[in-house]
Amino acid sequence: MSLPSLAEVEHADWPTLQRICADLDLNPKGRSGLVRTRVLDHVRRRMRAPPWRAAPEHQAALLTRLGFPDAATGLWERVIRLDAPAPWVGYGAARLAAGEVEEATKAFDRAAQMRDAVAHLYRAEALGARGDLVGAIRSCDAYLEGNLADLRALALKAGFLSRGGWLDESIAVLEFATEAHPGVSDLWRGLGVMLLKARRTKPAADALRKAAKLDASDVPGRLNLGSALLLSGRPKDAIGSYREALELDPSHVEALNNLGVAYLSMGQLKSALVNLERAAKHVEAPAILLNLAKTEEIAKRRREALKAYERILRIRPKDARAKAGRKRLAGRPKPSARTTKARKRTPRRRRKTTSTRDASRKRRKPRKSQ
Amino acid sequence: MIGTTDDAKDRYLPSVDRLEDAMRAGMRALDAGQPDEALERFNLALKLKPEYDAAWLARGHALRQLKDSEGALQSFAQALRANHESEEAWLALATTLRGLGRRREEVEAYDELLKIRPRSVDAWVNKGAALHELKSFRAATACYDAALAIRPEHAPAWNNKGAALLRLHDEAGADRCFAEALHFDPDFFDAIVNRVLLLQRRGRHGEVVIWTDRALRFREAAWLLYVKALAHLGLLEGTLAVKAFERALELDPKFQEAKEGLREAKGLRQRVDFFRGVYECFGTHEAGDPGCEECEISGRCREVSP
Repeated sequence: MSLPSLAEVEHADWPTLQRICADLDLNPKGRSGLVRTRVLDHVRRRMRAPPWRAAPEHQAALLTRLGFPDAATGLWERVIRLDAPAPWVGYGAARLAAGEVEEATKAFDRAAQMRDAVAHLYRAEALGARGDLVGAIRSCDAYLEGNLADLRALALKAGFLSRGGWLDESIAVLEFATEAHPGVSDLWRGLGVMLLKARRTKPAADALRKAAKLDASDVPGRLNLGSALLLSGRPKDAIGSYREALELDPSHVEALNNLGVAYLSMGQLKSALVNLERAAKHVEAPAILLNLAKTEEIAKRRREALKAYERILRIRPKDARAKAGRKRLAGRPKPSARTTKARKRTPRRRRKTTSTRDASRKRRKPRKSQ
Repeated sequence: MIGTTDDAKDRYLPSVDRLEDAMRAGMRALDAGQPDEALERFNLALKLKPEYDAAWLARGHALRQLKDSEGALQSFAQALRANHESEEAWLALATTLRGLGRRREEVEAYDELLKIRPRSVDAWVNKGAALHELKSFRAATACYDAALAIRPEHAPAWNNKGAALLRLHDEAGADRCFAEALHFDPDFFDAIVNRVLLLQRRGRHGEVVIWTDRALRFREAAWLLYVKALAHLGLLEGTLAVKAFERALELDPKFQEAKEGLREAKGLRQRVDFFRGVYECFGTHEAGDPGCEECEISGRCREVSP
């Protein structure tokens, strides 16, 4: 907004003064004479336009961002006044960064009382951090009253709704947001993920496809699209999506893993194994190794499956699924293979094999009784 | 080349050339905060032209920077001997006399200047200030009136007149003068502070808080914070009073009255502690004002408003 003239402010009636305050981001509350002086001061200061120097409020804002919230709080305390809400927002942000959520909320409340709309959003973040999701959603609504289609507010609200378990409401907000901002790929991706969470795989795939169209370099979006397609029973399309992701980033571990799983669901064991092995080569993650082990098991490559289970147990010694897998494979011994392996192993490992044998014997017992 | 040098010799006397060089070098040294160097240059200039008023004046300024007030006084007197009508020399002489505490002579210096330049606003205002310090408040007010007749928008003259009227117990007149001063210069620290003192005298705590806050934006001083804290006490705002006393003590840890005030404020906070929220004008209720009609704390505000 352009600055009103001094004469305009001096002769403004009360509603006009309040409107000017709202436009200039000034506190509109108080005796009219004081509010008028507040606006005049602001206009005079802006008209003079002194050369920029880092004032305490600038330093405070920088300190908050640099990770020194306590120092920032001290500076904000010196500059906050009742004539403008902005320093209260800064003060609240510093308090929030220092982990003092209660105090931060109070500061944002103060700014919101001065009719600073953005303070509602900051307040929502503080309340969200405190776990008061209902309060956070209400704050978002308060902001949205005056800024119906604001992207940040809608995204925040959707996030809080989803965190609170109100998936359908969250989806509705995101659908509205995508209508208002159809060109924002993140929104489509968010909507797609939310629909996936709600197990509405078909609309999820549609939303994710739109996200992928808007952002040609979006690898995670393509992965999500692949998952949506896979879950909606279209593994062939899913494979296409994963391949697109791998074209953008050939060593993307998650894409390799998911592609392996997609091939597995289509019964193409060889391709599944190739991709899972490549994924496991890049990152020894238990989830990937478990997929690999299971695929090896399905492919009846017992030794390789066992090897994969052992790798998982080296990373996570108490992994129940890996333990069960190893036990299962040990329960179906192939004498020749086991004898050969036992001979190759070091004495310590041989002891392990013995214990596995014991375990297998124990498991065989109930079968006999059956 | 030889011809050019001869021409220069014909056109300038060598001493004049050197005189200007010495003056320029002296002024440069004075601006750079090197009064010793400047004094040397001005002395050289005076050797070349002993009756040069600008050199005496500059020498006086250098000596003032060197805290040699008597020497400076002599220099300014010499400057006036060389040029009796130099306004700058009269003002410098009067200022030096003020620094030496010779108020009557200072007033006389302004009188002399006003004989030569009767429309010199600075002379009228400074004469008024000297008379104020001599406790001749009525004469001081007359000087300010003379200055304001020449320049009605002169904020320091309005402020000084207000201060003189305050000493003459004309609070209403003083208030009007401070209002005029702040109308012409809203950021005039002295006028803001004078208004704070007037409001404090009248027991208008709400307005004291508003105006001390304004003054504190320009300069943070322990005594101002102390005044602010007292006003918060008057408005039964325990926490705000404690904060102001604490800040005053941070700035001046030996401020005894602030220590006592802090104790009192902490005691008050346990009994009553009002929270003004977003209302900067708390304690200044005005019946019929549209802002006051919308106010959420008007009940409490009315109670503490005078």
